[in-house]
Amino acid sequence: MGFYFRQAGQNLVQNFGMNALTLGTITFAFLIFGLFGIVAHNARALMEEWGGRIRVTAYLADSVPAEGANRLREQIGALEEVQAVSFRSKEEALKTLEGKLAIRTGLLKGLSRNPLPASFEIQLKPPFRDKEGVDRLAAKLKGISEIADLQYGAEWIERFSAFLVLLQVLGAGMSALLLLTTFLIVAHMIRLNIFSRREEIEVMRAVGATSFFIRAPFYLEGIFQGLAGAGLAWAGLYGLYQLFLIQVYDPLKVLLGNFPLRFLPWEYSAGFIVGGVLLGILGTRVAAGRYAGV
Amino acid sequence: MDEFAPVEETYKIAPEIGPLGHTEFLEGIHLEPAPIEMSGVCKSYEEGRQALADISLRIEKGKFVYLLGPNGAGKTTLFRLLYAAEGLTRGELRVNGYELHRLKNRQVPHLRRSLGIVFQDLKLIPRWTVFENVSFALRVLGRKKREIAEKASQALQKVGLNGKGHFTPDRLSAGEQQRAAIARAIVNEPALLLADEPTGNIDVRTAEDIVRLFEEINRGGTTVLFGTHDEGLAAFLPKERVVLEQGRIVESTLDPALPGPTAA
Repeated sequence: MGFYFRQAGQNLVQNFGMNALTLGTITFAFLIFGLFGIVAHNARALMEEWGGRIRVTAYLADSVPAEGANRLREQIGALEEVQAVSFRSKEEALKTLEGKLAIRTGLLKGLSRNPLPASFEIQLKPPFRDKEGVDRLAAKLKGISEIADLQYGAEWIERFSAFLVLLQVLGAGMSALLLLTTFLIVAHMIRLNIFSRREEIEVMRAVGATSFFIRAPFYLEGIFQGLAGAGLAWAGLYGLYQLFLIQVYDPLKVLLGNFPLRFLPWEYSAGFIVGGVLLGILGTRVAAGRYAGV
Repeated sequence: MDEFAPVEETYKIAPEIGPLGHTEFLEGIHLEPAPIEMSGVCKSYEEGRQALADISLRIEKGKFVYLLGPNGAGKTTLFRLLYAAEGLTRGELRVNGYELHRLKNRQVPHLRRSLGIVFQDLKLIPRWTVFENVSFALRVLGRKKREIAEKASQALQKVGLNGKGHFTPDRLSAGEQQRAAIARAIVNEPALLLADEPTGNIDVRTAEDIVRLFEEINRGGTTVLFGTHDEGLAAFLPKERVVLEQGRIVESTLDPALPGPTAA
């Protein structure tokens, strides 16, 4: 086994220029693929977080007494779509408004009575955090007589969700094209590598080397290049992520509600490694067939 | 049954006039397969060119045979058939017991491990040292490091290159490169040594030295088939000879080929 590794090592060093080019191509492709992965991963996480902020506000009629409000809360809490219900009294609503108005609280001093209604803030369960789920809940709440008004809206979520799907499809499509192009380039470069050693291969065959003996060093080279390329890309991505995070994102993240930007999850990182190895193996398989076979 | 092992067969010669001029009936006699047995071998190419036609010969173990003929006579084609670099169009061909007319691809490495081959263009790997070139044949066989070192050194000594194992081929003379190629061919002590024009690119004096080297190898028990277009060389050291012309045997000092094996 050591012989194969030594041969692979010698071959990598001997054709350094070509191998460096192959490595660079693989690294670049995985870097781009990884960037799409980070964007998609964070966009999905952002969608989930924003989805969690979807609320339905049910305003109560002024005539509803406190005991009625409690009974109503239990009734709403029992609905299939509802995850949590919180009650805000008229007084709490006024306090909240005063807080938002800040230095302009003087505007409220002229009021003879509290005009703000009591309300229920209703949080939906994850499967219903879309327009359809919201509409379904709203239809049920409209049937409750004590509820004077409803406030809800999921259109913006739907539009953003559609945009994200488009982005993901485009990203996946472009990544696939990029990977395919990289695969073809890598296979071609490996073929050139093998072609440059055709005399050696002929000698190997002449003295009775099996196909495996001839091909093994090439496969090891391919695996090394795939692994190294994916590894370098991963390291590059991490470096870019840290740089972007510190220099660009952190000062602006309040615009996205302080959403924490994430790096690739471990499954994606493992996928990098596996992808690199597969690229190396498949590229060699395609390239080696013509020259290294017996 | 080991599918990679050479085939051994019992020859049955029918009761008719045999090669010695009298009736023979040798049923049941087990004859060790000759290193080379060819019967009616033909090789044609797609464009219609016939490189070899109806070649039948048998080279017994331990023989030294010149394969003579001008350029284009079919010598190289015959060599390429012998180590299965090409397939035959028709006929039967046995080399070291391997039936090449029925050989599967995965058996070819095993056939070649039983041979020593000296190519016309040497095929020494330029970036390897002489020692690495010579020992490579043993590495392919998976031999241990110590054995490889020992046998490679012995082979280099036999061809007169001890002390030059660490050189790369470009630092050797043409004759020394030829010796290095021979060392590689004999390092695994093959039963049969095939040499296709091993003296094609060197001067007469060196060529004669090379022929003597082959003779010495042959004296050790290795069967040698030596291809050359140089009649003068064959005359320098007379041995058995087979002469090809336009793909056919026009002269042979070998015993006529025995009939091929029949079912026992």
